[in-house]
Amino acid sequence: MKKQFEIYILIFITVIFFITFYYSLEANNKNNPNVMLYKTLPTIELTSFNNANLKQVLPIINEDKHYLINIWSSWCVPCRDEHQTLMKLKDKIKIYGINYKDKKSNAVSFLNELGNPFYFTGIDRDGSLAIEIGAYGIPETYVTNSKGLIVFKHVGPLNEKTYLKINEIIK
Amino acid sequence: MKKILFITLLALCVHTQFAQASAERELRIYKNIRCLVCQGQSLNDSNSDFAIDLKKVIKKKIINNQADREIYKYLTERYGDWVLLNPPLKKNTILLWVIPGIFVILGLVVIARRTHLSFKNKDKLRGL
Repeated sequence: MKKQFEIYILIFITVIFFITFYYSLEANNKNNPNVMLYKTLPTIELTSFNNANLKQVLPIINEDKHYLINIWSSWCVPCRDEHQTLMKLKDKIKIYGINYKDKKSNAVSFLNELGNPFYFTGIDRDGSLAIEIGAYGIPETYVTNSKGLIVFKHVGPLNEKTYLKINEIIK
Repeated sequence: MKKILFITLLALCVHTQFAQASAERELRIYKNIRCLVCQGQSLNDSNSDFAIDLKKVIKKKIINNQADREIYKYLTERYGDWVLLNPPLKKNTILLWVIPGIFVILGLVVIARRTHLSFKNKDKLRGL
């Protein structure tokens, strides 16, 4: 009787273990880029890329309007890939670019070559603005809604799938 | 003249002491923050761009006299609990903290029973 009880306990513990570890396998324990989703975008002040006196504070609270924030750099290869998508989006949503640790001359020639999708481009010389809004690296894209909440966040280059998703959000 | 020298030295001492304390604090925080773009490294171990930038941000906060708790809050708000190498006790981390305790108790129970049994056996043998 006692032996049987011990065996049951052993089986019970094994099952619990199995279930716990099985679910932990599925769980995303890696850095979760969506921590910031549905939170208000932390307030940042962008200094214009062209004119140091020109500033823009984000998030912009404007009824019925979404804004897109994209962190990019001329030295970042995936940024080149996603540029086309940004060009397609530029007439649908105002895009605020954050030029990340870049040389101005390189950034300018990048935009001259591929087109400028940005309504406003601010500079992030030391990467602190990117950290302020919870970015890991570049490229990274955020869409904020009329209340300044982040309703979309994407780490990595934008593609057709994310393009459709952004379209769906801003419709 | 002597007075001035004394005051300067005193100020220097206080300053170094202060700088040392703040450096120690920095190190302690860096060691408890995960470098999110590296594998299994703390901020202190890593020289990746992300780690260097994050260290600068933290250093600035320390200079601005922000408390450790505020700095950790700033980081978890942006990067989640994953950024901390020492996970906080929360609903979804309770197993992590409770399981080792359960094992210790189970182990103690097993040891207690074993020793109890062996005593009993000895008694039995003596009885024979």
